[in-house]
Amino acid sequence: MTLRRLFALSSLAFLIVLAFSPVKNALRPYRALQRQFRVVGIARASSGKAAEVYSSRPIAIQQVWIPELNNRVDRCTTCHLGVVDAAMTSAPEPFRTHPPTFHTPRDVQRFGCTACHGGEGLATDEEDAHGTSADATSPILPTEFIEAGCGRCHDAEAVRDAPTLSAGRALMTKSNCFACHKARGHEDFRADAPPLETLSMKTGAEWLRRWLSNPKAVDANATMPNFQLTGDDIKVLSHYLFARPVPPQLQHAIELAGAEPNGDSARGKTLFAESRCISCHTVGGKGNGSAPELGTIASRASRGWLIAFVRDPHAFYPQTKMPRYSFTDADVRDIVAWFEDELKDFDAPADILTPLRVNQTFAEKGEKLFKSAGCFACHSGVKEGERFGPDLYGIGELKATSLDFGKRSDLPRTLAAWLDAKISTPRSFASGLKMPTFAFDAAQKRAIVTALLAIPAIPVPDAYRSTPVQQAAIVPAGPVGEIMTRYRCLSCHQIGRAGGDISTAPLTFEGSKVNHDWLVNYLAVPYSIRPIIAERMPVLKVSKEEAGKLADAIAMIYVDPSTPDDPFLGRPASDHDAAEGERLYTTFGCRSCHIIGKTGGYYGPPLTETKARLKPGWVFRFLQNPQRWRADVRCPNYGMTDTDALRLTAYLETLAEAPAVPVAAAAPARKEAAK
Amino acid sequence: MTVGEWVRNTSVYRSVIRHGIAPTNRNRSLIIFENLFLHVHPVKVREKTLRFTHTFWLGGITLASTIILVATGILLMFYYHPSVPQAYRDMKELQYVVDNGVFLRNLHRWSAHLMVFSAFLHMLRVFYHRAYRPPRQFNWVVGVVLLLLTLLLSYTGYLLPWDQLAFWGVSVGTNMAKQAPLVGERVRFFLLGGNIVSENALLRFYVLHCVVLPVALLLLISVHIWRVRKDGGVQGPPDDERRSL
Repeated sequence: MTLRRLFALSSLAFLIVLAFSPVKNALRPYRALQRQFRVVGIARASSGKAAEVYSSRPIAIQQVWIPELNNRVDRCTTCHLGVVDAAMTSAPEPFRTHPPTFHTPRDVQRFGCTACHGGEGLATDEEDAHGTSADATSPILPTEFIEAGCGRCHDAEAVRDAPTLSAGRALMTKSNCFACHKARGHEDFRADAPPLETLSMKTGAEWLRRWLSNPKAVDANATMPNFQLTGDDIKVLSHYLFARPVPPQLQHAIELAGAEPNGDSARGKTLFAESRCISCHTVGGKGNGSAPELGTIASRASRGWLIAFVRDPHAFYPQTKMPRYSFTDADVRDIVAWFEDELKDFDAPADILTPLRVNQTFAEKGEKLFKSAGCFACHSGVKEGERFGPDLYGIGELKATSLDFGKRSDLPRTLAAWLDAKISTPRSFASGLKMPTFAFDAAQKRAIVTALLAIPAIPVPDAYRSTPVQQAAIVPAGPVGEIMTRYRCLSCHQIGRAGGDISTAPLTFEGSKVNHDWLVNYLAVPYSIRPIIAERMPVLKVSKEEAGKLADAIAMIYVDPSTPDDPFLGRPASDHDAAEGERLYTTFGCRSCHIIGKTGGYYGPPLTETKARLKPGWVFRFLQNPQRWRADVRCPNYGMTDTDALRLTAYLETLAEAPAVPVAAAAPARKEAAK
Repeated sequence: MTVGEWVRNTSVYRSVIRHGIAPTNRNRSLIIFENLFLHVHPVKVREKTLRFTHTFWLGGITLASTIILVATGILLMFYYHPSVPQAYRDMKELQYVVDNGVFLRNLHRWSAHLMVFSAFLHMLRVFYHRAYRPPRQFNWVVGVVLLLLTLLLSYTGYLLPWDQLAFWGVSVGTNMAKQAPLVGERVRFFLLGGNIVSENALLRFYVLHCVVLPVALLLLISVHIWRVRKDGGVQGPPDDERRSL
């Protein structure tokens, strides 16, 4: 009998134990949250009918299932119930409406949540979904790096509405990260660091020592990172660099230039200013800063080297962004004479430019170091598939538990903290690491970490990928191409997606925009189109013949086919109610930014010379939609009808009869602005 | 005529249950004789064999965990796809979405541990009680084969979650098999369906775990229990030992 009682009792105990699981199941937190959401929803509902919808919501797991996007299942909306519910703006979390972005609320069903935010979409409890535990498989992206989510699909360097990501990607390219690290989309990356063949005739052992011990201390614009070389390392590297043979032609040119008589320093100073060298360089920190600081240039490079270099930079440094100005021999002599007089480091020792007497043993050691420290990756180029550093593939989704924190026991065990420390103090993790130290500030580090977190382990399917269209043959072959290469138009201007960001004027559709004759004159004597912008286009001393060829080619090649040649359809512009156009000009308030005659604002380009400068078809299309070619154009889109746009075009085109006001005189504020 | 009597008189009842309800020895014997599942068991057992200290119920515990494993295993099969993109994800789904999914999976896992453990202890008990001696020598061999099947089931189930532990566990295990002389390479290739732990290995282990090994196990368990009866019932501590106590 006792045995039977024991049996009954133990069975009961087992039943109770078994009941644990269903009870736990019924008490899962999302159920309570969904009941709470009903209450919040009813309180916020605008009508009884809307309240009914909330009160009749079933308590159930919600999910977004996207088979095409790596079979993604996101159950975030099980708790975040108000993500696309406009009534839940400013509701308490987790019910609050998603802040409006380009993709929300319209694309929630297309992308789900974890495509941008990371985290474990399958999970239905907070800790697992957000991945807050140390060994979580996919932790959520911290909000400060949220733009990394954009980069999972958007491959382009510049992504709209993602300034941090775009800045990080641009900075990675500029810092030559991909010279050492392999990354998808950067397989063909070539660093643009200068070749070092003429170094022994350019500078001295002391300057090189200073440079190698910390490039940023010598030149704030330096892109070369600090390799934290020891005194011995610097010694052997210097011997190697000074032992490298100078190509005979360059040697000859430098020697000849060094023997030339001194130029006219005062004239050189004027020429330097006229040529607008500080559109790229800086002098004493003033200027654009994308090219070396010239404040102490005469203590950095020998006179012969400088003269020979400015005459033909491309012979020394084929990848340079610097154009080859059409200076005369005397011009260059004068400019360098000014350098020698004024742009000197007067505190530097007298022997700063004294070359090194090469010791062959040291030079051989230096050659080995040049390879083992990775100098070659930027300065000699690398072949495809032989990158010096680790592959960056999938770095954005590395598991925190798989990371090597080495000596850094101070760091939080997260991927973002690890990446941040890797780019701040790369060698603090262990001894013998080779990555150099870059001097990034906090914002730059955040941008780079964002760009790194955007590199996924499993790439999104092609249907979701937004890859910029590759445009071939941006610069035409033949003589025009040679002129464009010589003057390095792409160092500042963008054509399609290629080119630099110094100029605000892309040349992609320049041929549809400006008149041929105006362009010829402009190339000879450039000025700034918008009075508020500092003059930046260098005076390259383009000859009339070259300018003509360039203008011909631009009119032929850089054309937008959707821009009409003649919006007036063969009738004179004055037939199109220019008077009504003038009224529209007043109605839309164009004069607050644009100058006509003598009155108007300085923000936009003066319009008096419209007929001379712009093609009517372009003006017509621009008025219809100013952001048609560039998203960042500030001119408001008034949604003008075709008729109104045509009338306004007609008005602007008939202005030319009035005598053109010289632009230079109309722009007192222009010297300011630029960096 | 009570309802109970009426039911017992229907032809359907009489065709299924062919013995009376009176607690007679004959009826008790018929219960066992006429049932395919029960008749592997003896009709009568000695009372002392039911005592806990006689066998420590180890065989029974092993059998009970086997039944739990079959039941939970079948339920788990409803939620599991033996494919590389799905297998691990299905573990997550059990955790996050399936009602009582974690309980189901844990029950399966802990029962499996219990089964291996109790089977070992059962074997030790049999050994120390000298129950492997004639006439039980055949059943001892069947038991050894059953233990092997249990271990193989445990091992094949290890791969199925398709996580890192599973992957490396099976990598190491099959590399050990490779070290066997002459046939090692072939055994490994046969087990994995290839040279690496891949989707073929997952599929093979799944089929072994859910079909081949359980069927073999259930057949041999039947033989094992049936042989217990044929060999004169369970043997507890040997008599000479009892005398010496």
